Amino acid sequence: MGKKREDSFFSKNHRAQVTIFIIVAIVIVALGILIYLLYPKIESSLGGGEENPQTFMQNCLEENIAETVGILSSQGGSMNPENYFLYNNEKIEYLCYTNENYKTCIIQQPAIKKHIEKEIENAIKEESIVCFNDMKESYQNRGYEVQLSSGQTKVELLPKRIVTTFSSTLTLRKTNTERYEEFVIVLNNNLYELTSITESILDWEASYGDAETTTYMNYYHDLKVEKLKQTDGTKIYILTDRNSGNKFQFATRSVAWPAGY
Amino acid sequence: MSTKKTLVIALTLIILISIRFISSQGETSYCCEKTTYGAWCQNEPVEKCDTGFRKAPTSCEATAYCKKGTCYNSIDGVCLPNVPEKVCQDSDGIWKDTKPEDIPQCQLGCCLIGEQAAFVTQTKCKSLAGLYGLEISYRTDIQNEVECIMSASPDVKGACVIDNGLERTCKFLAKKECQALQTNNEGAGGFFGFGNNESETEIEFHEGYLCTSETLTTNCAPTEKTTCVEGKDEVYFVDSCGNLANIYDAVKINDPAYWDKIVGYDKTCTLSYNQNGQPTNSRVCGNCDYYSGSTCKSAGRSDNPEYGNNICKYLGCEYDTDGNGKIDNDEKYNHGETWCADSKGTSQIVVNSLEDHTPLSKTYEKTSENIPGSRYFRMVCYNNEVSIEPCADFRQEICMQSEVNGFSTAACKVNMWQDCVAQDNEDDCTNIDKRDCKWIKKVTNVKILGISGQIESEISEKCVPNYAPGFDFWQEGDAQGICALANAQCQVKYEKKLGGSWECVDNCECLKGGVDWEGNKIEFCQSLGDCGFKTNYLGDDGYNTQFDGFAGKSWTE
Repeated sequence: MGKKREDSFFSKNHRAQVTIFIIVAIVIVALGILIYLLYPKIESSLGGGEENPQTFMQNCLEENIAETVGILSSQGGSMNPENYFLYNNEKIEYLCYTNENYKTCIIQQPAIKKHIEKEIENAIKEESIVCFNDMKESYQNRGYEVQLSSGQTKVELLPKRIVTTFSSTLTLRKTNTERYEEFVIVLNNNLYELTSITESILDWEASYGDAETTTYMNYYHDLKVEKLKQTDGTKIYILTDRNSGNKFQFATRSVAWPAGY
Repeated sequence: MSTKKTLVIALTLIILISIRFISSQGETSYCCEKTTYGAWCQNEPVEKCDTGFRKAPTSCEATAYCKKGTCYNSIDGVCLPNVPEKVCQDSDGIWKDTKPEDIPQCQLGCCLIGEQAAFVTQTKCKSLAGLYGLEISYRTDIQNEVECIMSASPDVKGACVIDNGLERTCKFLAKKECQALQTNNEGAGGFFGFGNNESETEIEFHEGYLCTSETLTTNCAPTEKTTCVEGKDEVYFVDSCGNLANIYDAVKINDPAYWDKIVGYDKTCTLSYNQNGQPTNSRVCGNCDYYSGSTCKSAGRSDNPEYGNNICKYLGCEYDTDGNGKIDNDEKYNHGETWCADSKGTSQIVVNSLEDHTPLSKTYEKTSENIPGSRYFRMVCYNNEVSIEPCADFRQEICMQSEVNGFSTAACKVNMWQDCVAQDNEDDCTNIDKRDCKWIKKVTNVKILGISGQIESEISEKCVPNYAPGFDFWQEGDAQGICALANAQCQVKYEKKLGGSWECVDNCECLKGGVDWEGNKIEFCQSLGDCGFKTNYLGDDGYNTQFDGFAGKSWTE
């Protein structure tokens, strides 16, 4: 009997031990999840993984620039298209247009790259001010003496990337002095390549009234060119980089054939 | 066809076109520098002109401010035609009142940049050189794009061996890149940072050699790994240092000679294709070719290459063209193929070639073809993906397809139906270079009341559109006028002899409903476009029935 009782005691003890292990395991997992979720906050409050000003600006503005580029790419390069075709609820700007039938179109935007650069610059203006102020505040909170003088903003569409350069000067003083004269934000995007193809399509549309999509896909193996003719004679061109998935779409109306004569 | 009737039809056509032209001219009498809806240089009614910009009661072609010319961008070298001066200047371009081909800065030449080539202006070439940081060579003697692209030559490549005394490693580089390393190394006094700053580093270039060459005795060894290279189609072996080696050929993986020197794509394995254009030996050979229908891609689970994780992927497509829910043998398409969609209510047009429009076969024009709402579509197969390109609506464009050795090519071509009914002889009517018409031959002896009001012989031969165009008949437009061309009257003469009953003596064919005269008229009417009684492409009947085609029969005793 005594042995039996001892067995029972050990058995109970063993079960209790298992329960404790399970509870400890649950607590560890829960803590892990909490740390994972709160890590950025914990990191900033502890001062760990301190971002340098360049990284701060990149993190702060990258999403905004990507979003702006996404909108511009789906709207023919304009944030607020004026003369557009509504396709799938998107306002797609006409880059070459004539309201008449049988006639070749008139180029509406001869410098599409420059136009897009300007549009991005204007679209991120407000957000960049917010980011610079946030950065200033963040460093002041960490005991830095901060001097910030804002300068010019320059956006460049370049091969495989979009580079935004802020010529603002930031001086940080604590134990020593750090000076930053330029903040460069790089977004990987193929808009440069896609707008180059756009220029060629516009040339064909303005000269001959149409462009052959397969010619471009033969030369550029990772490019997809779609041409969707609409009932009113409008053509929607959708250019897609098959590797990156980057798109650029725009509208033209050239040598339109109406119903009847 | 009688000359008189042809003249009448031609006049009717001219009137129809003129009415549209005059009415449109009447509305768009102003040249708006900018319209209220944001378009530059359009002919519109005055109320559509933006008040902040110039306008004149004339056509834009006659104004100075909307004159079209070439806009030249002096920074990136882009020249575009049909640009109004103001639009060009607003974008900091240089405007010239001439065509691009007459502007020296817009002349195209061959820009050789590194291993690439582009047929662009000299300014654009310089701009590209700046962007890519590469040396350029601009050749004006090459005057077409294909020749230019063919003239691009790859850089001389080889093993760039870096020996720092402790380690002898290697990078597979272009000669220029290796030379740049050598220059930098010499500049750094032979202590260029390759891991060891203590001993002197020597850099040698071995043209045509791979880093795995046994003669070079580097620490780079052959592996079973493969990779895809941006801008190239083939699958390549990779060595243990991460350098590219030769094209993936499973048979030669253990052959030291294959890991010694660069082997051209014509001296390695050949990727073979089956009759559907699919690669058959891609598991063991990485010699893919985009134009033959394969390119290097990551291998899927079912691909199972003998070595590595990359394979020559088939770029062809499968498409259920007839919509029967399964892929038939003739629904497999090669990469680069284009074909006409089997779209409801259209004709299947196969021609000798897209340049020569002589139809080889065409399903006979029936009332089930070119019916209201139907439209032609071109299908395009590229990169294992089918895209659909609609041709112009209202069947103003038709899709034509030609085939050479099972490879089909299709194009949307303008449907030139407009002047068919004005043609009075078969040769002019069927001149496929000028129009898409067909000559209908019907023999009747009917006397009819022509449009001129005179009794004349029924014309049994007519020129009508080969592919009936569509009209926007639900709104005011040309449909009513065009369809009215098929209006006709037939005067039937009856005689009643003494004690007898009325008997038809003249133009009795008109009474044989649906066969001769009536049948001809219906066919003529339907061929003109969306006229007469028809069902639409969805199979729904129109509001007219066959007998409604007739305005009525009257009797004068």
